[in-house]
Amino acid sequence: MILSLLILNKAGGLVYHRDFSNTFTKLSSNDYLVLAGTFHGVHAITARLSPFGPSSGGTPSSGLEVMESEHFRMQCFQTLTGTKFLLFTEPQQPNVDVILRRIYELYADYVMKNPFYQIEMPIRCEAFDRHLMAYIKPKQ
Amino acid sequence: MERSNTDSFRHSQYLPFSPTTSSHPSTPLAQKHASLPIPTPTTASSLSGSASTLRYSQSRKTIYDRHLNRSKGAELSKASFAFLFGEMVQYAQKRVSGIQDLEKKLNAHGYSVGQRLLELLVWREGRSGKRETRVLGILQFITNTLWRAIYNKPADALEKSRDHEDEYMISDNDPMVNTYISVPKEMNQLNCAAFQAGIIEAVLDSCMFPARVTAHSVPNETWPGKTVFLIKFEQVVLDREAEFIS
Amino acid sequence: MTIYSFYIFDRHCECIYIKQWHERERAGAAIRPTTSASTTSPIPDKRVSAGGKQITETDISMRNGRLSVQDDAKLIFGVVFSLRNMVRKLSTPDDNFISYRTNNYKLHYYETPTNLKFVMITDVKTNNLRVVLHQIYVNLYVEYVIARNLYVLMLNNYIAVEHSGGEGVACELFELGLESFVVRTLKLIELTT
Repeated sequence: MILSLLILNKAGGLVYHRDFSNTFTKLSSNDYLVLAGTFHGVHAITARLSPFGPSSGGTPSSGLEVMESEHFRMQCFQTLTGTKFLLFTEPQQPNVDVILRRIYELYADYVMKNPFYQIEMPIRCEAFDRHLMAYIKPKQ
Repeated sequence: MERSNTDSFRHSQYLPFSPTTSSHPSTPLAQKHASLPIPTPTTASSLSGSASTLRYSQSRKTIYDRHLNRSKGAELSKASFAFLFGEMVQYAQKRVSGIQDLEKKLNAHGYSVGQRLLELLVWREGRSGKRETRVLGILQFITNTLWRAIYNKPADALEKSRDHEDEYMISDNDPMVNTYISVPKEMNQLNCAAFQAGIIEAVLDSCMFPARVTAHSVPNETWPGKTVFLIKFEQVVLDREAEFIS
Repeated sequence: MTIYSFYIFDRHCECIYIKQWHERERAGAAIRPTTSASTTSPIPDKRVSAGGKQITETDISMRNGRLSVQDDAKLIFGVVFSLRNMVRKLSTPDDNFISYRTNNYKLHYYETPTNLKFVMITDVKTNNLRVVLHQIYVNLYVEYVIARNLYVLMLNNYIAVEHSGGEGVACELFELGLESFVVRTLKLIELTT
């Protein structure tokens, strides 16, 4: 079961937030903004904490990808452009990678190709919402 | 003759500029020229800088020398069109103030497209094409031939208005130009299918059926993007039609 | 299935114990073998107490331009603290963050009811080490560190002893116990996975 989705822009600001179930307590929108900013910083630090230096170890260190807690699991997908997709799911949810890829595809289609969307601004695209709900709802 | 993408890259005399844009099937003419050593079409080669990033024809043939049937049935990437159309909308938005003007601007863009498209479509009909003189005839041409040429499917419905003699409506459940566009709430009277309306208007005007065409959104449950193109013919057309009947 | 390092933070947000089994590559630093006599493992490792009074090899890796061990510990604490608060805020207040993974390493976290935080950094393939951390707490920390300090406490007439600056944590028994426990669990986990 998918709990919620957050999208952060390059600078760490929250551009989209959607809850798909009532498991999480409802926080104010300011709380979510603060959370997003905190996570952006934490992500940057985790990339530097790698036991391997930046030059060795093959691929450069990436920053937090999956975080687990007792009641939920959070997966963070960072695109090549710096946009982060945070997906909160139940711990046993399978195929989160596939879901994140599909969400990224929906973002690239209905947000990026929308001439009325300003880059890095909050997302207010009705088509994106519609397709996202249509994709996520059957999985609940 | 249809050839696969990789064949056309290997045998065409063009330097590849990006493997992701759709390539038209190469004509039989292109096969006769000697093929140059072409690097395999990967994104790396287009960024390497060793080849120019624009497609130059080695034999100085331009787009005007191509056969007109060459692009018949060719497909264009929807993403490419979506980005171009998005930029067109943004460009128009900067130069106007107000939704009506924006729709007029988009209509004007579609108008130029429609004028040229009509010539091409009529030419492609060849001997079997004939000049439409009746209103129903030209409307059938639009809903079938024109729609199929652009979208590969006919329009969804053609209706005559009951209240007004001079009004007809063409419906499209999901206009392809609007697929990726979400109009913000403040502008919800805007329908970017005004571009398509411009194409229709140009076709009608050029066939001597002067009219005004506008696009209106009529969302319903199954088709939230449903659009109706309202065609309002001028008096001349109605008079001529009346003569035909009598 | 390798363990890279292990940290303990107390409830005053200080790092009271660091143990590294893997020399973090700093800019141009060579791996120097430890000269400490108390450990006999062939792997070059660093045993540093955060306090400064019991540091045996102060001159290794502290001055290499990139992050020093101290800074690492502070960053880790910051990350862990922020993530824990985020988890508590989003979900129920008694929820606990367990671990996170990047493409190079995985960090496991365990917090005791006394707000003592155990952090372990391992490679990506390790499964949940929460149980292991709990065992370290129960079997090693409580027994060797707290029990020893309770004795000291008794001597000092029960004035509360805190591990300010990490003194009292890096005692011999705890070190040896930790080393052997980790080696043993590593073998166990390798056999079972």
